[in-house]
Amino acid sequence: MKKTILDYTLKIRLPITLFVVALAFVATFYISRAERDGIGYAPEQPIKFSHELHTGKMDIDCQYCHTGVTKGRNALVPSVNICMNCHSVARKDKPEIVKLRDYYKSGEVLPWKRVHKVPEYAYFNHSVHVNYGIRCESCHGDVRKFERIEQVKSFTMTGCLDCHRHPEDQLSYIKNVKKGPENCWTCHR
Amino acid sequence: MPESQEKSNKFWKGLKDYYDDPEILKAKVNEFNDGVSDDFDTDQLSGISRRKFLALLTASAAFTATACTDYRDKGEIVPYTKRPEEIIPGKANYYASTCKGCSLECGVLIKTREGRPIKIDGNPEHPINKGKICSVGQASILNLYDPERLTNPTKNKNEISWNVVDKEIIDLLKNAASQNKKIAIVSNKINSPTSLKVLEKFKEKYPTSEFYFYELFGDNTKRNAWEKCYGTRNTPSVNIDKADVIVSLDSDFLSREGNFIENTRFYASRKDIMKSSNFSKLFSVEGGMSLTGMNADVRIKLKPEFQHEFVLSILNEIILVHGIKSKYLNSNLLSILKKYDFTDFISKQNLDKKKVHSLVESLMKNQGKSIVIAGDSLSEKTHIAVNLLNEVLNNSSLYNRQSVNIEYTRVSSMSDLKTLVDEMKNGTVDILINLNANPVYHFPSDLKFADAVKKVTTIISLTESPSETTALSNYVLPINHALESWGDSNVRNNVYTLQQPVIAPLFKTREKESVLLTWLSEDAKNFTHDIYRKFLMDSFKKEIYSKENTDVAFKPFWYSAVHDGFVELNGKKALPFNFNINNTGNLEAPKVQNGITLHLQPSYFVGDGRHANNGWLQEIPHPVTKVTWDNFAAVSLKTAEKLSVSFNDVISIEVNNKKLELPVMMQPGVADNLIVVELGYGRENSGEVADGVGFNANKFLYAENLISPFILTNINVNKTKYIYKLVSTQEHNFLTNPSIRNFQKVRKIIFEGTLDQYEKDPKFLLPEEKVLHGITREHKYTGLKWGMAIDLNKCTSCSICVASCNVENNIPVVGKDQVEVGREMQWVRLDRYYSGEPENPKVSTQPMLCQQCDNAPCENVCPVNATNHSPDGLNQMVYNRCVGTRYCANNCPYKVRRFNFFNFRDHFADAYYENDVIGLVNNPEVTVRSRGVMEKCTFCIQRIMEARENAIREGRELKGDDVKTACQVACPADAMVFGDINDPESEVSKYREHDIGYLVLKELYVKPNITYMAKLRNTDTEEV
Repeated sequence: MKKTILDYTLKIRLPITLFVVALAFVATFYISRAERDGIGYAPEQPIKFSHELHTGKMDIDCQYCHTGVTKGRNALVPSVNICMNCHSVARKDKPEIVKLRDYYKSGEVLPWKRVHKVPEYAYFNHSVHVNYGIRCESCHGDVRKFERIEQVKSFTMTGCLDCHRHPEDQLSYIKNVKKGPENCWTCHR
Repeated sequence: MPESQEKSNKFWKGLKDYYDDPEILKAKVNEFNDGVSDDFDTDQLSGISRRKFLALLTASAAFTATACTDYRDKGEIVPYTKRPEEIIPGKANYYASTCKGCSLECGVLIKTREGRPIKIDGNPEHPINKGKICSVGQASILNLYDPERLTNPTKNKNEISWNVVDKEIIDLLKNAASQNKKIAIVSNKINSPTSLKVLEKFKEKYPTSEFYFYELFGDNTKRNAWEKCYGTRNTPSVNIDKADVIVSLDSDFLSREGNFIENTRFYASRKDIMKSSNFSKLFSVEGGMSLTGMNADVRIKLKPEFQHEFVLSILNEIILVHGIKSKYLNSNLLSILKKYDFTDFISKQNLDKKKVHSLVESLMKNQGKSIVIAGDSLSEKTHIAVNLLNEVLNNSSLYNRQSVNIEYTRVSSMSDLKTLVDEMKNGTVDILINLNANPVYHFPSDLKFADAVKKVTTIISLTESPSETTALSNYVLPINHALESWGDSNVRNNVYTLQQPVIAPLFKTREKESVLLTWLSEDAKNFTHDIYRKFLMDSFKKEIYSKENTDVAFKPFWYSAVHDGFVELNGKKALPFNFNINNTGNLEAPKVQNGITLHLQPSYFVGDGRHANNGWLQEIPHPVTKVTWDNFAAVSLKTAEKLSVSFNDVISIEVNNKKLELPVMMQPGVADNLIVVELGYGRENSGEVADGVGFNANKFLYAENLISPFILTNINVNKTKYIYKLVSTQEHNFLTNPSIRNFQKVRKIIFEGTLDQYEKDPKFLLPEEKVLHGITREHKYTGLKWGMAIDLNKCTSCSICVASCNVENNIPVVGKDQVEVGREMQWVRLDRYYSGEPENPKVSTQPMLCQQCDNAPCENVCPVNATNHSPDGLNQMVYNRCVGTRYCANNCPYKVRRFNFFNFRDHFADAYYENDVIGLVNNPEVTVRSRGVMEKCTFCIQRIMEARENAIREGRELKGDDVKTACQVACPADAMVFGDINDPESEVSKYREHDIGYLVLKELYVKPNITYMAKLRNTDTEEV
């Protein structure tokens, strides 16, 4: 039988093309995964706040600023008056602090860029996690080392469930750690 | 009306359509309205060519696309600059205040999130309403965010600033006062002592002012009668919980009359099988089928105009036949009573002898422990006769003399109003101020108030939302919603409640009192936002604080009063009431002709019409007929037959040359030759939701009626050839279709018995235990498991749970067209079943919501596992997973799943609820569902999760009674119990184990988690 162009196309060219496309897709899928999940996302903030300086060097407790974290759903990005507790005295002349003071005086809102976000249809609650003794760094990474805050873990449903199912892997510091609930209404309602 | 037009079978959209308005006819012929293409001048169009436009569009789209590179952007987090100490974002704050939905003025507790109110419940510490409020109070939160609220002062429909308005009006007022021209102020009854003080000051300043107070409904007749009998207009509350026998004479005291929240609590406390089987016995003698009648143990049909005679013949029977003695009897009275023979009356009215005799016997057996309650719409003399009856039976011992309904403002008499209208007509009234009322809609049409208004130079309306009256006003000044206002109220002599704002005014509105205070200060610049708060504080100091004899300083006392929401007034001793027979006049009943009677009643949810623009209230099904979005003429089956009409046929009612056409609802249990019509419908100029809903029967209110303004005898009724579509959430073909008659009992949905049966054999209801088999794998629930119990003895079917659930769970309004095709979205449904004869039915009601079945049939048909079971026994519904196949709804035996056929917020009335402001009413803890998603009751999972969060924070285990669902909190009868059914000590598991507790459709073996307590009727066994 005579080999035609059609034969060549069907037997060789098409499978190769498909293979290349599939390979490219799979490779891109996995390589870009972290990026798509937001890992490494570190937007520029309106004020160059350094967690490294405040929590790392000065060893201020997270809850001094994030006051809501044991009380309810939101950890709370501190309101400007909390910053001013110290900065009405400390480092008043630095340009970033001047910016901060302007916000405080004018009453204008300070629009921090959001870094960590769970989707709208998931109802995450900080207090139930923190009150069980889970440390902030288990989800947010070691912020003591961040000059600018960035996302280090994936905030997807798999990310949540990995830990809910096998907490001992990531929360080894809690003795006899219990599994987290897995039923839908824990997060979705 | 041209006869040739064959449209008898057509539905019509509005009255204009129906009357073949030439405008409409013309509009039907022409595709476009006149003027659609006017002003279309090509020269004035933009010079850009089509091609250029498209090029620009493409280019800008391309630029936009390239600019959007930051796909990872997640928006912003904006913290407070200076966070108020009491606010933690994500946590609710609660404030005590007073509801201003009606004249009961209950104490409320308002839940706010980040400064916006999202839920109103009763204030649990309030001594009268004890944590419960009605549907109107629950739904009134929607009025705050109503997109049609007035937002700006207007003068002749043009926006104008407050400053200018104040200046102009102050000048007008001064002029009127100096020229000795009248300033008439029309208002609803006022229960606020401080508001009244403002009005008094206003009169001091402008001495020509005159006040007119009115209420369309209310206890005015009752108070008039009380004044004649006891010499005071202050009526005591009644300890219904201490009554073994309650006789209601056309009184809907469980849902529309008196303090029905308190009444329901009292009533239900005597229907509590867990505490005692010493049930009270409720007799209801009524014409229409009311909620109270529906719940009555014994119901007797009687047309309202014969109630007077009925009371007199009961008096005749107990005094003359049974020889009960009383100090109030004199010869004059006896001679009157002699004319009303009981047996004659029974045979004349064709009453059920057994029932009526049992009523009289029960009254005599339980002297001092029974109470007769007369309906607000009955005549003054009937009320006097009832007062006498209660005195003769010693029932006055049930009057609560410590908690007395006081009255600050007396309703203007009809002759006062007539004088007002005359003065308006002849020009002596210069200024008419409408103080948050709606006289054009409410006043009897005899008065011709709307015509007289046109003769008044200046009409000022101070209201929240547009109405018939604002349409005729020169100045329309928007006032604050109750949640934005300071205020106070003193309805009972022992409780003084305070109202505090929980949100700053959303629009350019002001408190009505502060507007008046500005006017009487004679300078517009004197207005400040706390002008009325300061006035209130001063008044509080003088009137309340100084009389309390307390060591506490004023400021702390004031703050604690505002915090609590009320002050219990001490030093008020029990008020004595002494019955005086000599002032009561001739008690003889007027002679009435035996024709067809029209009985006008308040609507269950929109009241006198003032809540008509609230979609939630319009959509709660009528407790008896289940009709939504309409009023109708309820007639008995025999009367319908006589008039040869059926469901949806339009009849025309004619009284005193006034005519109204409205559809028929065949209502089992209505007395023959009686038509019951609810008022509060047919509003105009009142907003997208209210306009054109139902029919305005206010025109029948006849100022000088023989019996009462609400009962019109001997009316003309004719059938018309038109048909109108009434829409209800429950079918009414039970009458014509014998196969479904009593199916609720055949299908084991309703179990019922009598108290006697229960006392003889507590287990009489339980059917034989059968071994049931499931098709699914059984699952063991070891830990906490949620369950509910609903006591059908206590439940009155008042539908407050529905209103509360709507608010808590962001339930959309779907509109009449969608209810018609069965797409209502309410998660709780109150099913109503009739049994027995259609002429005299027994009614059973049952709240039906998701039963959270263990073997839920909905779960195993979901192709995407969007509905499944949680370890604590909840049937979970996950919106973000649902693809909308609707298999689950199809497979649910209880039919409690609801599907979003549309994005209903967008669908209803051209996106009425897709508005920036109204979005604020949503509970942030509950997803706002969109099109294509199934939903259902969640047992308030957001409340369960909140309780879990609190338990974890406090380091303890979550317990069953940590959670209270929204319906349970709202239930005034406490008929709902929620908790852990695996805990044998919990209340709910005691209900579950009780002899009369049953599961609906148990034989399906779906293992529901809601237990219903069978209704035990307190009747003699023979009657059942």
